[in-house]
Amino acid sequence: MGKKALRKEFFMEIRTSLGRFLSIFFIVAIGVAFFSGIRATEPDMRFSGDAYFDEKRMADLQIISTLGLTEEDIHALEELDGVEKVEYGYSVDALCQAKDSSQAVHVMSILPTMNVLTVEEGRLPGKENECVVDVDYLESGGFSIGDKICLTSGKEDEITDTLTTDTFTIVGAVSSPCYIGFHRGSTTIGTGSIAGFVCVPEESFRTEVYTELYLSVKEAAGLTEFTDAYTDRIEEVKKQIKEIQKEREEARTRGVREEAQEKITDAKQELADARGEAEEELAKAERELTDGRKKLEDGKGQIETSSAQLEQAKARLLSGEEELYRQAGQANAQGRQLNQKIEEYNRQVEEYNRQSQLLESQRTLLEEQSAALERQREQIAQEQAKLEEQSVQLAQWETQLVQERSALDAAIQQWSTLKAQYDILASGNPVDPDTLALLHKMAEELAFGEQQIAAGEEALAASRKQWEEAQAALTAGQNQMAAAWQQLEAGQAQIETARIELDAGEQQLKTAAGQLSQAPAQFEQAEKQLSGAQTQLDAAQAEITKGWQQSREGESELLSARREIAEKEKELSDGEKEYARAKAEADAKIADGEKELEDAETKVREIESAKWYLRDRDDFPEHAGYGENADRMRAIGKVFPVLFFLVAALISLTTMTRMVEEQRTQIGTLKALGYERRAIAGKYLGYACVATLTGSIAGVLFGEKVFPFVIITAYGIMYEHIPNVVIPYNIQYAFMASAAALICTLLATFFSCSRELREQAAELMRPPAPRQGKRIFLERMGFFWNRLSFTWKATLRNLIRYKKRFFMTIFGIGGCMALLLVGFGLKDSIFDIGLLQYHELQLYDGNLILNEDATEAERTEACEKLAADARVERTSETLLKQVTIGCGDTKGDVYLNVPKEAEPFFRFVVHRDRITKEVYSLEEDGVILTEKMAKKLGVAAGDSIYIQDEEKGELEVVVSAVCENYMQHYLYMTSSLYEKIYGKTPEYQSVYFMMKEGRETEQEEVGEEILREKGALSISYTSDIETQLNDMLVSLNIVMVVLVISAGMLAFVVLYNLNNINITERKRELATLKVLGFYPGEVAQYVYRENMILTVLGALAGILLGKFLHQFVIVTVEIDSAMFGRNIDFSSFVYGFLITVAFSVFVNGVMYFKLKKINMVESLKSVE
Amino acid sequence: MEDFVQLTNITKVYQMGEVEIRAVDGIDFSIKKGEFVVIVGPSGAGKTTVLNILGGMDTATTGKIIVDGADITRYNERQLTGYRRNEIGFVFQFYNLVPNLTAKENVELALQICKDPLDARTVLEDVGLGDRLDNFPAQLSGGEQQRVSIARALAKNPKLLLCDEPTGALDYNTGKSILKLLQDMCREKGMTVIVITHNSALAPMADRLIRIKNGKVSGMETNAYPVSIDEIEW
Repeated sequence: MGKKALRKEFFMEIRTSLGRFLSIFFIVAIGVAFFSGIRATEPDMRFSGDAYFDEKRMADLQIISTLGLTEEDIHALEELDGVEKVEYGYSVDALCQAKDSSQAVHVMSILPTMNVLTVEEGRLPGKENECVVDVDYLESGGFSIGDKICLTSGKEDEITDTLTTDTFTIVGAVSSPCYIGFHRGSTTIGTGSIAGFVCVPEESFRTEVYTELYLSVKEAAGLTEFTDAYTDRIEEVKKQIKEIQKEREEARTRGVREEAQEKITDAKQELADARGEAEEELAKAERELTDGRKKLEDGKGQIETSSAQLEQAKARLLSGEEELYRQAGQANAQGRQLNQKIEEYNRQVEEYNRQSQLLESQRTLLEEQSAALERQREQIAQEQAKLEEQSVQLAQWETQLVQERSALDAAIQQWSTLKAQYDILASGNPVDPDTLALLHKMAEELAFGEQQIAAGEEALAASRKQWEEAQAALTAGQNQMAAAWQQLEAGQAQIETARIELDAGEQQLKTAAGQLSQAPAQFEQAEKQLSGAQTQLDAAQAEITKGWQQSREGESELLSARREIAEKEKELSDGEKEYARAKAEADAKIADGEKELEDAETKVREIESAKWYLRDRDDFPEHAGYGENADRMRAIGKVFPVLFFLVAALISLTTMTRMVEEQRTQIGTLKALGYERRAIAGKYLGYACVATLTGSIAGVLFGEKVFPFVIITAYGIMYEHIPNVVIPYNIQYAFMASAAALICTLLATFFSCSRELREQAAELMRPPAPRQGKRIFLERMGFFWNRLSFTWKATLRNLIRYKKRFFMTIFGIGGCMALLLVGFGLKDSIFDIGLLQYHELQLYDGNLILNEDATEAERTEACEKLAADARVERTSETLLKQVTIGCGDTKGDVYLNVPKEAEPFFRFVVHRDRITKEVYSLEEDGVILTEKMAKKLGVAAGDSIYIQDEEKGELEVVVSAVCENYMQHYLYMTSSLYEKIYGKTPEYQSVYFMMKEGRETEQEEVGEEILREKGALSISYTSDIETQLNDMLVSLNIVMVVLVISAGMLAFVVLYNLNNINITERKRELATLKVLGFYPGEVAQYVYRENMILTVLGALAGILLGKFLHQFVIVTVEIDSAMFGRNIDFSSFVYGFLITVAFSVFVNGVMYFKLKKINMVESLKSVE
Repeated sequence: MEDFVQLTNITKVYQMGEVEIRAVDGIDFSIKKGEFVVIVGPSGAGKTTVLNILGGMDTATTGKIIVDGADITRYNERQLTGYRRNEIGFVFQFYNLVPNLTAKENVELALQICKDPLDARTVLEDVGLGDRLDNFPAQLSGGEQQRVSIARALAKNPKLLLCDEPTGALDYNTGKSILKLLQDMCREKGMTVIVITHNSALAPMADRLIRIKNGKVSGMETNAYPVSIDEIEW
């Protein structure tokens, strides 16, 4: 292009045909962006991971030894060329009580510089009893900072053998580069899987030797993990380590053995010492026994002499006693006499006293009588006086009576007078009223007087009577008085006599008293004599008693001495026996000790050599998975972008071809003007080159940043502890994509140019020969062809004629459809597995793991409690353990599942064929293996596989059926088959359970209750697993969304471009139609009919392509432990198809305006 | 006789940036029914523009065209399409056949949309292609292709047959035979034919000759006794 005019024309060309330029630019940009972006994602994932691991200074290698590691090992490793640094660490797996269940945790020491922990919360531990906990576990275990966790070993020995304490305070939450995902690895305790890790200071470990060593490899930090360079470097260093490994292992083994041997030697010495000591002691015992025997004999002799002496003493005592008795008898008689005398005397004294008393009382009585007599005398005198008085009074009263008589007589007199008067008067018969009244009054007075006189007479009579009575009484009194005087005189006389008697009595008593008073002195003397005798007797008695006591004592002494002798004799014989036994025992012990020593020696000889396990980063949980994910991206990157790229290349090819063809005349002109071919071709090549290069650069710049970022961020859901996203430009892929794009377009341009350029200039100036019209094969099918309307014929012919367009459109639409189908299909497949696995295959709601450390009864109790719960529909016990199975050289880990009873079990787990849905039952003669593992091992029903057993080696079983399964791998067998091949009954430690309909939500309450049982270890709920699974799959889904959106974009570009080219190419034809008077709708129909047919055909092809692609992608992205669904849902076909058609319709809609814009005049002017 | 076609002061102005190009600058002429009209003029004189406007493929900037009593300048897009569909037959310089259709099918393509079409086979026989019915354009010579093009135009039974340099891409003899065909059609079927050419040698064969120069009618003459094309040499 040395020509200025041509150069100018070149730039003008770009400016005038900017649309075409941009279309190449964009299609190349998209293609390159996608290709290099997706491709770059793989290394970028590796870079991101590597950046994280480098930042956290993750150890490149880890060495674990069965016998621990020592300082010497560190030195030896440090001396290796490839090893940069060695750090030691400790670790132990322990059970930790969280919520209601105990879960296994990995306890490890914090390394000085390697495997740096990221503190998410809180701080790192400073003290022995502080720890930091896995941030995920902190949440899942329901802990919070400041809580205490308690660890148990889960084995026989105590955790405190390894750790200084079993209770740690959580001071922080961390993440570790060793654990990038959700998994924490497996262990031999608890449920077998580790729930989280706990980091403690180094000092918290008691262990003497290091559990593990961490190595960083020289130059490894500069290399990217998950790449061959890194792996090779690590392998190199591994080789170096392996060179010294044997030596170190042996050294360690030797060390351990020597230590043991030393112990044995010590033990031997001890044994010898013990033997000497024992012999010495035995000899001493023997000597002691002999001495004892001699002493015993002496003792026996002494006893005999003492016994004789005692007898003599006893005889003496007896005679002494007799004498004493006699004397005592005499003394007693005397005493008795004295007592009698005293008694007599006492009686006399008593009598005297009585007499004296009597006399006294008589005298008193006499005095009293005398006094009473005196008082009577007085009384009588008084009464005599009274009588005197009465007699006076009576005399008076008599006088009075006489007076009253005379008064009364006077009154009678008076009355009589009056009477007389009255009678006189009355006899006169007076009639005079006064007289009459007087008479009357006198009569009254007379009556009254008469009455009074009568009364007086009466009263006088009464008084006279009374007086007479009193006179009588007085007389009686005077009589009595006289009698009393008489009595009194008699009493006086008596008293005088009594007094004389009394005086005589008194005289007698006085004499008696004189006699009595002499007696006590005599008694005293007698008593004194007696008591002297008694004292003597007492003394003698005491002496005798003492003698007896002495004798008794002597006797008891003798007895005890005898007893002692007997005891001693027994002791001696016991001692002899003991001696014999001890001797035997000592001999036996010594023999045992010797045997033990021998055993220990054999054991030492048998001590297994130390074995080193050399682990690299891939051996940490999910590390390899991260690499695999990168590989998966690579696999995806190999398919999808290529597809895109192919389409992009085709588009730019068509566009460039079209451009060259359009400019045929110009080429001819230039040629005619004498420009050489190179110059002419240069313009088009340059055009393509500029468009492609700029497009590529834009694509690389965009794609290599955006795609990896989106995808790595999406994967971040799975690897949430890797915060790093490192997305450098990958020159390699950029170059690869750009070069491929460039080559495609340049080649296409070159070929179309050279075709044109080969023709003569004159030829080029003329319009091109019309395309060769040809009959199509359909026309030969007359019955079909003849029935078609003219327009259909034209359409069909057009379709088939423009083969390039036909195939490209089908390819474009098919690709779009396929990608959509893959997208939807993946969604079906991936989201299906949760549904299929947990709603069609594994129907249980939860799985209770029993505690193997609990007793049988406790386990049974837990089972029964679960089964009896009203909310639980049914349960089924099963054995669930991880085993390695294999077929030939291929091996895999599966869960061996041995149900106790087949009946309830098949309600929990459905074994069926994935395609035919035929349900298999578990038979005695074979096992059922899950599909993915069967495929991995390459076995089908009827083949046999082996199960690896630590003790029994490889156990062969026949696969009776292969069943559908999506998560994990299982090997089902009946309990009887298990017994047959393992030779023992299965220990069921797992219980599947199903909740009653409608009560599923209560499962956690049930679980909590069950976990309180001692026999229950942990419980897992199907719904939790399903949720976890779905979470994990979301990240894959995001990748797919990226793909599908890109696919849609691509499809749109392709369709637009193809339609555009189609219309441009057929501009003349369409213009002719317009001139012929076709309405715009009819013209559009003419074009669209073809497009719709192409769309449908493309979609159909896409379905086919999509199915294959889906299959490929599924297998590629599948994780090892899972099988994704292989089916695409019918609705996905429908959606994919509808979306494809919608794309097509939309593009055609846009094209309508382009059709309308076709200018008849311009297009008909000339042929270009 | 009434004027079948009448153009009054037709102008067509293209605005190219700041420059105003007057492709047609006030053309007036009228044509009677059944006439064979030849429009001659040098390249760029505006004759094709006039033909396009007359054929309803383009619109005039100003002026009025009456065709068979209808004012087509007032037609909208759709009416113009209908006008092209039913009243106009076009013969192009480069034939503009649909390459994927046979000769017969190319004719049928036009027929299927018009109201009162002729039989495709008859028309093709008329133009002398009775034995090439099922050939594709690529299998036909230029003259034969142009005949197909003419047949396509004729079969619509149009009121007006417009031919834009029909012989431009053909050699002398073929061109002559095409012109003969056109003349015959005009004579035999009484069709009004307008032929554009830059070849003024054809003038004698026209009933009416219109000369156009610089977008204007420079002269118009009627020829009472047109000669047959066979007698014309150039």
